[in-house]
Amino acid sequence: MTDNVEQKDIEDLRERFLNRDFDEKEFEISAEKTISYARLCGETADRFLDENHPDFQASSTFVASLSGRRVLPQDFPKMGLGMDAGKGVECLQPVRPGKKLIGRTHVHDIYTKTGRSGRMVFAVSRIEFYDEDGNHLANSDSRVVMREKSK
Amino acid sequence: MSIATLSDVEFGVELPTFEPDTSLKTVGTFAELVGWGGARFSDHEAARKEGLAGAMVPGILSQGYLVAMIHQWAPPAEIKKIDTVFRAPVIADEPHAINGVVTDIDDEEGLVEVDITVTNEKGETRVFGTASVKLPQ
Repeated sequence: MTDNVEQKDIEDLRERFLNRDFDEKEFEISAEKTISYARLCGETADRFLDENHPDFQASSTFVASLSGRRVLPQDFPKMGLGMDAGKGVECLQPVRPGKKLIGRTHVHDIYTKTGRSGRMVFAVSRIEFYDEDGNHLANSDSRVVMREKSK
Repeated sequence: MSIATLSDVEFGVELPTFEPDTSLKTVGTFAELVGWGGARFSDHEAARKEGLAGAMVPGILSQGYLVAMIHQWAPPAEIKKIDTVFRAPVIADEPHAINGVVTDIDDEEGLVEVDITVTNEKGETRVFGTASVKLPQ
């Protein structure tokens, strides 16, 4: 298969799946949970550990622990064994425990890398988190890598 | 030196190493807290039966250690963005070092870029990435 044909299938996937919400889920975030999370990570700042602190908030990467119902759309093709290749978090506004979060998931990026063992396809699944007033608080990206089966 | 403002930060400086609590008890408690209760995070023998070197630290806990290290270096730091690559498993009950180095300073935006790593006792990088951190001017 030529490079052009290989990239054509990725272009088709991008056209079909990018930036289309395929999941929505609500999350109830308790102070008890975010405090435990922060403590286990080694945070020592009161704004993460003290519920009475005026700037009390979940630790910066807490949203990475929240999962939607699916990582990729139901009809996304199986291109090989999927593995967790990494995570990213973008913090736009503090996440306040005790308030409801709404997470909407879409495929944010699809790209490839080619190594000695062949082509690997990466899909970035992004959950955008909003509060009940529609304020965009954070993004959590999960990178899934699929090593293609030998042809 | 604890960092309070952007002007305290020097390009290329290494952040103080943070030694995280990777004990099996902490790792198992964390996994259960986030709903990932499974033997691979709480039982070395069971994890070995799955082909792992031992019970694993969840990737998001490694990410949490990295952020805690930044906050201990600069208490007022706001993490704006963090991106981590899980190169190899971090094994519970093994000592690891959490390190960072300042690779960029944006005076206008008040942002500092930090390259971050989790390494084991052999000096092998298990997790790496970058963080973008906002500091008071």
